[in-house]
Amino acid sequence: MILRLVLWSALYALPIFVRSDFLLTILIFTFIYGMLGVTLDLIFGFTGQLSMFHPAVFGVSAYMTYLLASKAGLPFWLATIPSALTAVVLAMIVGSICFKFRLKTFYFAVVTLAFAEVIRLVVLNWNSVTNGTLGLVVTGRPTVWLPGMGVVAIKGPVAWYYLTLVSLTLTVIVCARCLSSWMGRCFGAIRLNEDLARTLGIDVFRYKLASFAVGNALASFAGGLYGYYTAYIDPGYLSINQSMDVLAMVLLGGQGTLIGPIVGSLVLTSLPHVIDLRAEARAILYGAILIFTILVMPRGIVGTFNAWRARRAA
Amino acid sequence: MLLEVRGLTKRFMGLTAVSDVSFTVEPGEIMGIIGPNGSGKTTLLSMMAGLLAPTAGAVRWQGEEIQHLRPDVIAARGIVKTFQNPQVFAELTVFDNAMVATHLALKRSRGARRLGELVGLGRAAERTLAGQVAEALALCNLGGATRQLAGNLSYGEEKMLGLAMALMCRPRLLLLDEPASGLGREEIDNLVAVLTKVHAAGATLCIVDHKVGFLRGIARRVIALDHGEKIAEGPPEAVLENPAVIEAYLGRAHAPA
Repeated sequence: MILRLVLWSALYALPIFVRSDFLLTILIFTFIYGMLGVTLDLIFGFTGQLSMFHPAVFGVSAYMTYLLASKAGLPFWLATIPSALTAVVLAMIVGSICFKFRLKTFYFAVVTLAFAEVIRLVVLNWNSVTNGTLGLVVTGRPTVWLPGMGVVAIKGPVAWYYLTLVSLTLTVIVCARCLSSWMGRCFGAIRLNEDLARTLGIDVFRYKLASFAVGNALASFAGGLYGYYTAYIDPGYLSINQSMDVLAMVLLGGQGTLIGPIVGSLVLTSLPHVIDLRAEARAILYGAILIFTILVMPRGIVGTFNAWRARRAA
Repeated sequence: MLLEVRGLTKRFMGLTAVSDVSFTVEPGEIMGIIGPNGSGKTTLLSMMAGLLAPTAGAVRWQGEEIQHLRPDVIAARGIVKTFQNPQVFAELTVFDNAMVATHLALKRSRGARRLGELVGLGRAAERTLAGQVAEALALCNLGGATRQLAGNLSYGEEKMLGLAMALMCRPRLLLLDEPASGLGREEIDNLVAVLTKVHAAGATLCIVDHKVGFLRGIARRVIALDHGEKIAEGPPEAVLENPAVIEAYLGRAHAPA
């Protein structure tokens, strides 16, 4: 608990001491991917459902948030709400189909992947709205109201650093609240023994859907931020690679922990910047790291660390 | 009557596991279901709890047909089943296992208000439940093992944890699938004490076992199954002297002529 508070405080204090744009940029990407990792972990690590649907809501929200802001003139924050609702609706439809047919593990992964791919193809071919493969250039900036400063536009690394860090913090808090309540107990029961959960009166279908919907709604917000931060959106946001990257972060950092995916995100987003690599070499490195993690520490970095601390305390 | 089973049949491919079984469970009684291995006891119980869909026949709970309902809905009505091979959440502590089982109690007591817990309200309800969990665990002789992982328990302890979890669901009808199998002498004595207490608190019990001695001590009424069919019903002594039952257990040579 204290260790976690110290770590979070350190993150909040960091820009006071570090002015390197390079480092802040890596951390901004870490935070946005961290949001995806944490929310995937809610569905995968905590509820036991290996979802490949994350890039779909991430991409759709990136497009929707920007299009609503540019075409309908909504402010960024207002535009994220319909985007999140769309994510929830999509998650409800896909989740209902999968969970009604009791798809588990790889079957669930493949079917969610197929749905994500269908949505990617729609985005890719809907030229009049999405501009197809060329993508969209995002103009405009999110604004926030700050006490004493009025409405300010988010620009520059420090502002983006804080915006994404606060977003990540809120994502973690929402997930932590769900998980520490009766809802989290239901998620865990479903992950560990679905049949026993049923005989204890837990509506397995409903709580799987709840986990899937909450995870996707929060992930959608990461999409909105990412589009604005990179100032560019293309259908690659919805690709399978995104799914694989986020899954790699969760596995590397430690599934079933809230901090793990953020650590995984930090390692995998900083590696290609720290070690200059071409895209192909990066894929090989990713793969190697993933294989190494699964073989040597299947619980991931944070999982292994927690186990080590527990052993030492005992 | 609390529960009525009428013409219940289950066929797996060509095998008839349960064949046209009918009986009733009266409120407040302790009834037993006996029969040799493979006679269809577990299948029958699984159908009553909604874990298996019957091929034919009906299960009525207070007049309402429930055989098509999902197991969690049936559990919510008050019919809770324990498993012959203990089922626990191996990676959770004993205490957390039992906390999972408070789901129905929390749902009943707080309804949609329990959503308030997500923003930090309703900690009191949680504490009350934790207290009840501690009580149930102590009752089941697991008071000293609450912090242990359920996966590290002995077979008998896992079974008692299964019972403690079933009790946290506040069952009106508790279906017990061979609760005494694999338990030592002392553990069985404790089990009988727990079941007697649960019964005294108002629950109806339906116990499946092939240990005749255990059931004779606790059940007032027994039905006997063989090859999926009901072959006898009545007070334990009468059923155990029934020639068809003796034949089913010991073979034709031992049956009185």
